Amino acid sequence: MIRVRATFEKCGRAKYISHLDLNRCMLRTFRRSRLPIWYTEGFNPHPYYSFALALSLGFESSCEILDFNLNEELPFDEIRDKLNAVMPEGMRIVKVAEQKQKITAIAKAEYSFSLVSDETDRLFATVQELIASPEILIEKKTKKGIKTVDIKPDMEILSCEKGDNSVNVSMYLPAGTQTNYNPTLFIEALKKATDIAFEPKNIRRIAILCADNSVFD
Amino acid sequence: MLKDKIEKHLLEVQKPSRYIGGEVGSIIKDKSKIDVRFAFCFPDTYDIGMSHLGMKILYSLTNERENYWCERCFAPGEDFEAVMRENDIPLYALESLDPIKDFDFIGFTMQYELSYTNVINMLDLAGIPVFAKDRTAELTQIVIAGGPCVCNPEPLADFFDIFVLGEGEEVNLELMDLYAEMKKQGASRMDFLRKAAQIEGVYVPQFYSFTYKSDGTIEKLNASEGAPEVIRKRIIRDMDSSYYPKNFVVPFTEIVQDRASVEVLRGCIRGCRFCQAGFIYRPFREKHADTVVDQTKCLCENTGYDEVSLASLSTSDHSEIDPMLTKLLDYTVSEKINLSLPSLRVDNFSESLLEKIKRVRKSGLTFAAEGGTQRLRDVINKNVSEEEIMNTCRIAFEGGYSSVKLYFMMGLPTETDEDIVGIAELANRIIDLFYSIENRPKGRGVQISISCATFVPKPFTPFQFEPQDTREMIEHKQKLLLDSVKTKKVKVSYHNPDVSMLEVILAKGDRRLCKAVYTAWKMGCKFDSWEEYFHFDKWMEAFKECGIDTSFYANRRFEYDEILSWDHLDYLVSKEFLIRENKTAHQSKTTPNCRLRCSGCGVNKKVGRECF
Repeated sequence: MIRVRATFEKCGRAKYISHLDLNRCMLRTFRRSRLPIWYTEGFNPHPYYSFALALSLGFESSCEILDFNLNEELPFDEIRDKLNAVMPEGMRIVKVAEQKQKITAIAKAEYSFSLVSDETDRLFATVQELIASPEILIEKKTKKGIKTVDIKPDMEILSCEKGDNSVNVSMYLPAGTQTNYNPTLFIEALKKATDIAFEPKNIRRIAILCADNSVFD
Repeated sequence: MLKDKIEKHLLEVQKPSRYIGGEVGSIIKDKSKIDVRFAFCFPDTYDIGMSHLGMKILYSLTNERENYWCERCFAPGEDFEAVMRENDIPLYALESLDPIKDFDFIGFTMQYELSYTNVINMLDLAGIPVFAKDRTAELTQIVIAGGPCVCNPEPLADFFDIFVLGEGEEVNLELMDLYAEMKKQGASRMDFLRKAAQIEGVYVPQFYSFTYKSDGTIEKLNASEGAPEVIRKRIIRDMDSSYYPKNFVVPFTEIVQDRASVEVLRGCIRGCRFCQAGFIYRPFREKHADTVVDQTKCLCENTGYDEVSLASLSTSDHSEIDPMLTKLLDYTVSEKINLSLPSLRVDNFSESLLEKIKRVRKSGLTFAAEGGTQRLRDVINKNVSEEEIMNTCRIAFEGGYSSVKLYFMMGLPTETDEDIVGIAELANRIIDLFYSIENRPKGRGVQISISCATFVPKPFTPFQFEPQDTREMIEHKQKLLLDSVKTKKVKVSYHNPDVSMLEVILAKGDRRLCKAVYTAWKMGCKFDSWEEYFHFDKWMEAFKECGIDTSFYANRRFEYDEILSWDHLDYLVSKEFLIRENKTAHQSKTTPNCRLRCSGCGVNKKVGRECF
């Protein structure tokens, strides 16, 4: 059994494929590719594969991680090409390699997004204000009910720029098995902080990273 | 662009991937090179419509033609419809995301009477005039329909330009060819409809008018514009050479029938007298076992589905069922594909095959007994004996099943209280059987689920003349059944009789009902087949407003010599045969299946060859 790690893009219309649907979609993609996928050996054999992180519905990504097993060794490029030949529109494998690190090494993810508005100047000022504030409290739904969380300490702003009709932000947020924050939390906090009308657009996961900011591999 | 408008709101609605296309297997063409654009519309949501096999066949078949483009279109869910109406997004097709009002053909498949209001709603949402008479004189926007419900299309006649009777594989292309040619010549809509009416299987309702007698029954049908007096349905003669898709559109979101599906045969030899499908899809034609196996492999490889089901009215009536299943199982087991076998009778298989099937069958066991006593089962020609039911249950119990689901109909012709009590008694005997089996599943009790539908007499069946039970009669029978069931091992569930009543009115109705269908939609009726959207009171109000006596359609016996609103449509089965079968039913006599003996339904004469 050969362990393989694929990195894939999920863009365009593919962003409307939910995480649950993505599972089914990959299963069928594997079958169409006719790659020698390794099946579990239990009572109900099924191909073994797993996604490192779930991606929210409506988000694009250029760095999704998919681990799976093969019955025989094949050149990585061949695996990539065979899958790409049968992938849905908007999804493309960019890299196939061995599984170097454990999934638990994932600590954060980089996101970028645009906030489209007619009042870019005012919005830009508000976003900067929010970023500079000592705490950013949001209400997070947990199994035990609604909890107030301060996302500020875990949030690292990489850039915040004013475009023609939007404010463009990129940031690191915690990801992985422990804490998972999603840019919508920040966007919700912004909505609460201002009455300026804006629309979030092009939310995209750019990179999956380890604690030392190195790219998860 | 419409795409941007759609995407702006897509994340506000449930299961957005239903509204944006881009699925694997969907066909994209360059529209500048297309002569005819066809929007294949299913009058229900994506989840249901995408499960429909007919659409898959006609979609692929049309798209094989380089210069024709067939796209899919479904009814949006309530949330997305609100978004569409609020933001001026007209109903669009999923491949190009272009509005369907700009298409040459807008084709609906009519599978169920309770989807009629959805058709009107979809036309309205598309910005296409709902009534055929209000559409442009130019040759564009031809609204057509096919499917089982068009065997009596009169309650929809005002909304459609064309009804296509029977199987669409050939006639759809003939219509599109004619359209392409006439479009080039600059013909008008009327020119096209006049010519189209000459194609076999094409019914142009506006060329026909009815006059009625003072008692409300039909006096006469008048054909005009040179349209034929009788329109005959189309059939495919050879199933092996007939087109079958090599690929399906594979949806992202889970749909009702989320698997590859291979059609095994068309028609049915059984002749159950209540079953419309059993008569309107005649003659019986089957694919060779090898064709079925080849098509299964091809579809599974191209779609990536790990489940395949065999589609037909009665798969076990295939003449090569045993070798076919053996070959199929060889393939599916080695490829780890799940083979599901609906409509299968397990009584006529070899032991070894039964073993193999048992391994793949994991769903519950259901049995359509339909009637509670042998007498009633004879009346409806459901040729299932109690011995067979018991035998199948025994096999199931010995194989580890401990629950059985039984389907019945209530309100069947000649039905008495005795037949209703018979349902409970049959359930009791199955319970007794369970406890008499030595190696029955241990640790669990037996569970019998009885599901009761209300009988709906349908056109082109021997019971087309029959009245439906009134609400009071059905309620009495329901109560009687509940009182007869004395154990918790038996669970009884009913279909809503109001739904069945609306069904029969629309199924047997005539052209005067169009107004009521429109009025009901105006009052807010849509998705009538969805329990949460079904508003019987609104429908009754609509009928009242249009001066329609519902009992005239639902609870009246139609006379043998009465002109019925579907008499001018020829579904190959003769009316004389249906009358004969109706009389035989009232004598509680059965008719053997077509393979045992030809009963002279008239199909073979019209087709010009023997069925077997």
